Amino acid sequence: MNDLLKDLYQEIILDHGQDPRNFGECENHNKSAKGHNPLCGDKVYVTLLVDQDDVIKDIKFSGEGCAISIASASLMTEKLKNKSLDEANKIFNDFTNLVKGSTDELRLLTEEDSLYALKGVEAFPMRVKCATMAWHTYKSATNE
Amino acid sequence: MSKALLNSNIKDDFAIFEKKILNKDLIYFDTAASAQKPKIVINEINDFYNNHYSNVSRGVHTLSVESTFKYEDSRKKVKDFINAKSDNEIIFTKSATESINLVAQTFCERYMKQGDEVILSIMEHHSNLVPWYFLREKYGVVLKFAMIDEEGKIDLDHFSSLINDKTKIASITHLSNVFGTTTNKEIVKICREKEIFIMLDGCQAAAHNKIDVQDLDCDFYVFSGHKTYGPSGIGVLYGKENILNDLPPYQGGGGMISEVTLDSVSFADLPAKYEAGTPPLVEAYGLGIAIDYMNSIGIENIMLHEQELSNYALKKMKELEFVEIYGNGNEKSSIISFNLNHIHAHEVASFLDVEGIALRAGHHCCQPLMRHLKVNATSRISFGVYNDIKEIEVFIEALNKCKDFFKK
Ligand SMILES: Cc1ncc(COP(=O)(O)O)c(C=O)c1O
Repeated sequence: MNDLLKDLYQEIILDHGQDPRNFGECENHNKSAKGHNPLCGDKVYVTLLVDQDDVIKDIKFSGEGCAISIASASLMTEKLKNKSLDEANKIFNDFTNLVKGSTDELRLLTEEDSLYALKGVEAFPMRVKCATMAWHTYKSATNE
Repeated sequence: MSKALLNSNIKDDFAIFEKKILNKDLIYFDTAASAQKPKIVINEINDFYNNHYSNVSRGVHTLSVESTFKYEDSRKKVKDFINAKSDNEIIFTKSATESINLVAQTFCERYMKQGDEVILSIMEHHSNLVPWYFLREKYGVVLKFAMIDEEGKIDLDHFSSLINDKTKIASITHLSNVFGTTTNKEIVKICREKEIFIMLDGCQAAAHNKIDVQDLDCDFYVFSGHKTYGPSGIGVLYGKENILNDLPPYQGGGGMISEVTLDSVSFADLPAKYEAGTPPLVEAYGLGIAIDYMNSIGIENIMLHEQELSNYALKKMKELEFVEIYGNGNEKSSIISFNLNHIHAHEVASFLDVEGIALRAGHHCCQPLMRHLKVNATSRISFGVYNDIKEIEVFIEALNKCKDFFKK
């Protein structure tokens, strides 16, 4: 098996791709957005419940997509739950830098984070959009 | 091996096959998106810029004459390639997309009013949908969509049933970029009987079949140079001369005028009338060379070769129970769309890329068709002159590996 593929499709990615966590819609959500990847037609819908202190009390997603986009959305919801919007936005920046192969230093993400498994995407530039689709949708939900 | 196949050293005509993809030989199965370019096309383009280049139709000096001659000579090659009656019926554009926009806008301006109808089909490329959507929004033109059958061919009975007194034009793909099916030329007869115009989108057909616009009898025919082994940035619009004469100009600019004063303008005759501004002259020349290249192999031979490859690939793919093929017929003129059970097309494309195989994954600019098929995306392989049976074996092997890799 080719190493690039092994990096791209680590066990955790395949797992979350096939069995996504936090799939569905949050009850009583107060923020939401739809996103899609015009290149391939994949879609995602992200809902959040954000409290008065700007803490993400709940976050879920639904949609259709490839293993990379679904796994990324699933891992995102796990990571962002109970984070403040401020922290979450820093994680957003870290994550987009990570998958684009940017040399900027990561602030909150570390190699121990399960999200780090998506670093393999950097070798497949055409897949970066798959990995970031849910993240940009989260961002537009919280920027509205 | 079958006599229908071309000699495999055709690959030597293309520099790209010297390239390795992650140390693997390149297997290019994406000709339907764009064909690779033979060395002769690239070399001749270089030679044009190095030795003959100037603007066309504007000067009397030697280089202008040489450029103009090469540009107009290419028009003759295109005319012969699709068997048009006259050079005046061949308009150079930047792409098939531009050709379609040109027809949609000028046709609407001349012949249509609010409530008039256009017939398209549910499997058209976005290029043959969106230009008409503009007319719907701006002028209240009504669009109707012909259905397809299980094979992925236009349902001619349904098509026919959509035509009424308000119908002015139909615009339909000649060869589907998803199913590889060819539209029966009967469709033109239907339009003749009902006295409506018809445009055929020949983007896929032009690279694979002998096109004869007089035999087809369509009013307009469009294709892009980059899918017929020519450079990007050049497209063709064929239109019957009397119709093109009757339609208004599209863009204004230099080259398309007869006389300009401060109060008025009169327009040049065909084909210059539709070629405002400096045209993609070197690209047009490159397309002419690409046509020479295809003719040197023989269009008939290209068709047989690709048919043989498609038949073989289809047979092998049907033996794999985890592969679903779209369009249940056996006519796959060099294009096969498919999905692997439970594996997204993106995974297939990335997996095969690492094996050196270039194929397309996505909606193929046919989102309405994808919705009809109830899929988000499919994978698609498509063949050109440079493909061979051995590559299909590698591909089938890779599909098996891909299935194993992603199995739960
Ligand atoms: C059937 C069909 N129509 C139209 C087009 C648009 O061609 P272009 O992008 O070269 O203008 C394509 C190419 O993708 C096609 O396959």
